[in-house]
Amino acid sequence: MSKFNIIFRETATYRFYKLFIKQMREFLETVGNIALRLLESLKYIFTLQFKLSEVIEQSKRFAIDSLPITLTIVAMTAVIVSIQVAPELVKQGGKDYIGLLVALTMVREIGTIMSGFAIISMIGSAFASEIATMKVTDQIDALRVLQVSPIKYLFVPRILAGTIMMPFIVVIASVVGIIFGGLTAQMTSHEVSGLCYYTSVWHGLYVRDINIALFKASCFGGAIALVSSSCGYEAKNGAKGVGLATTKAVVWSFVTIVIIDYCFALFFYF
Amino acid sequence: MTIKINNLTKLYDDRKVLDDISFEVKDGEVLAVIGFSGSGKSTILKLISGLIEADGGEIKVDDGDIAMVFQYSALFDSLNVFDNISFALHERKEFRKKYTPEQIKFMVAKCLEIVGLPGIEEKFPHELSGGMQKRVSLARAIITNPKYILYDEPTAGLDPIASTVIENYILRLSQDIHATSVLVTHQMSTIKRCANRVIMLYNGKIVFEGTPDDLIKQDNPYTRQFVTGAIDGPMKITASSF
Ligand SMILES: Nc1ncnc2c1ncn2[C@@H]1O[C@H](COP(=O)(O)OP(=O)(O)OP(=O)(O)O)[C@@H](O)[C@H]1O
Ligand SMILES: [Mg+2]
Repeated sequence: MSKFNIIFRETATYRFYKLFIKQMREFLETVGNIALRLLESLKYIFTLQFKLSEVIEQSKRFAIDSLPITLTIVAMTAVIVSIQVAPELVKQGGKDYIGLLVALTMVREIGTIMSGFAIISMIGSAFASEIATMKVTDQIDALRVLQVSPIKYLFVPRILAGTIMMPFIVVIASVVGIIFGGLTAQMTSHEVSGLCYYTSVWHGLYVRDINIALFKASCFGGAIALVSSSCGYEAKNGAKGVGLATTKAVVWSFVTIVIIDYCFALFFYF
Repeated sequence: MTIKINNLTKLYDDRKVLDDISFEVKDGEVLAVIGFSGSGKSTILKLISGLIEADGGEIKVDDGDIAMVFQYSALFDSLNVFDNISFALHERKEFRKKYTPEQIKFMVAKCLEIVGLPGIEEKFPHELSGGMQKRVSLARAIITNPKYILYDEPTAGLDPIASTVIENYILRLSQDIHATSVLVTHQMSTIKRCANRVIMLYNGKIVFEGTPDDLIKQDNPYTRQFVTGAIDGPMKITASSF
């Protein structure tokens, strides 16, 4: 290597671009891997090559284990929204719109996205660390030597569980959110009655919104399972690698569902 | 049923772990692979089983199931011993059609008996000692009657009697069902009892090839050092070999 080359390699600019290129490459690799695994999973799903018992097992985990946390988070968010807007609306003479506002935000955005966040932190991280541990302890290699596809055995049941269960979670969470929002609104001001709140909720609910929310929830559930599992699958180098993979899974899942949410808003409401 | 390896090269981050090596495993033979820790023995097994890709050369394996006993067992820790051993029978279509649940139960029980651990079907891997896990992983590998078996230190960490049981079984598999095997081991006793031929790796190259008797005769400086465990000799342990 020439002297110039050696000096050049020491410069901050060179290092910066090297790091940047490395990061970009990792980013593209992750995206590519997720896409490939999605395609392979779809192949198994459409040819019905999965075990129902596994799907049910994962569904139980996905929906039931996470429900307390999800409900708490969504209900608290509804309470907060209600506390913030109910007194203002009452002051402005809009007490008949509190329910409408809470219901709209719940169904269109908060119910789904907050459930998504709760599921990522509970289930997504569990999926990732589980698969990452299997990877670094050679269990994935063992699967492959036994000629069982890791995608079919690990990814497909999880993705199906996410896609199927997430809409149920979102429905339950949104209903709970609306109820808690109502209770809060009634407490903040005695002008707001239950009847007035729920009539207004009724005006705020549209079948189209609900359909979109269910579809969005399905996409969220599938995406969380896919992205978390895929990031876990990339793990290497022992316990530290499991930690890194789990963190990556959580971050990537968050970003993914926010992007999906953005696409939905753009496509259906813009 | 042979494995032919020609000019195989494997790099890890620009470092040649295997450098242009060639050898052959004949039908029904047990080939032992020895060498220091870090000399690429496990890497050879992973290449043969197709878990990793070579950077050069070719590996020709005649048609047939390959089973592998992993160095650190690699049992599925969310499944109990029964589900671990019967995993392939449950998950793969060709076996699902072939065996009834009763037959599978019987086969698992038989395999566990062979490795000297009858009746532990309901236990989970974390409830077993390291040696027991190793033997369960051997049971998992052999239940499908594979044509090729790759053993990564199957007797490491076992007591002498359990080692002998496993050694006997390795012998029996090669004689009875004519399994072609590659056996990575550090234990001279295992080499003497089981291996038909031995190759030794150092610095990515094969430095010795011969029968176990040749190995013990010690006319090769590498094998002499390996057998006696001397620090002085042609092989130097450096930081990069770990
Ligand atoms: N995934 C990997 N990435 C980078 N280097 C690796 C990887 N796997 C193995 N190596 C390196 O390759 C070399 C050979 O590793 P291998 O596991 O084949 O050794 P081994 O002969 O089986 O050793 P041991 O007797 O300790 O099991 C080692 O120096 C190791 O550092
Ligand atoms: Mg090894």
